[in-house]
Amino acid sequence: MSSDLPPRRSVFWHPFTQVGLCILSGTASEVLLKKGALGTANLPSAIPWLGLTGLNSGWTWLSIVFTLLGFFSWMSAIRVLPLGVAFPLTNAVQVLVPLSCWYFLGEAINPLRWCGIALVVAGLSVVARTYANLDARL
Amino acid sequence: MTAGALFLIFVALATLTAGQILLKLALADDGPSKGMTKRRRVWIFAAGIFGMTISFFVNLGLLQKLDLSQVFPFQGLSVLVVTLLASFFLKEKLTLPLIVGTLLITAGVMLVSAN
Repeated sequence: MSSDLPPRRSVFWHPFTQVGLCILSGTASEVLLKKGALGTANLPSAIPWLGLTGLNSGWTWLSIVFTLLGFFSWMSAIRVLPLGVAFPLTNAVQVLVPLSCWYFLGEAINPLRWCGIALVVAGLSVVARTYANLDARL
Repeated sequence: MTAGALFLIFVALATLTAGQILLKLALADDGPSKGMTKRRRVWIFAAGIFGMTISFFVNLGLLQKLDLSQVFPFQGLSVLVVTLLASFFLKEKLTLPLIVGTLLITAGVMLVSAN
């Protein structure tokens, strides 16, 4: 009866879990990247708009580690999930990054941005319904 | 925000979007990827990585000059572009909830990025 169904994945390797890990890694990566960029903004560079001087900061390298971790999770997720469904969900980072910047870097969030964050959360919940429907097939 | 910064944000967005489409194309087993040779997948994967690397360093350059909470929300516009291009190039189904959700996210991102 169940021979036609795909094998069940462990919770860790489930594409939903991998998207979640990608979101958390992406948030950590962006905040660390900003810390690295801040510490190296005044260093001289031949190509200033590429931000290569950021590589002089340990925060930037830690950011790269999180970027790579997120990348591997992302590759695992999009092998199975449609890109047009998985990618919108990664925009949870749009909520987590401003909140992280507010908490860790002391950047301000004005009321308009709070409204934007609420809209993003609403959009994520709508897309998540598509995601939930897909879950039955994974 | 200057015109130069906006141009660089566009470059970061375009290279990120192209990179994502190419990665999906290289990793998927169905749709346009079906029957693709391993050699071709490797080249497409490498092109995807190249696009995302360019996006990473342009983004790093922007972060040296602007607040993260100003730069990053613009990348959220890529959700609209990626969803539409995934439908076009990867033949993925575009459902009504997906369109509505994508538009809500994009509108939210525009507000978050408003300064």
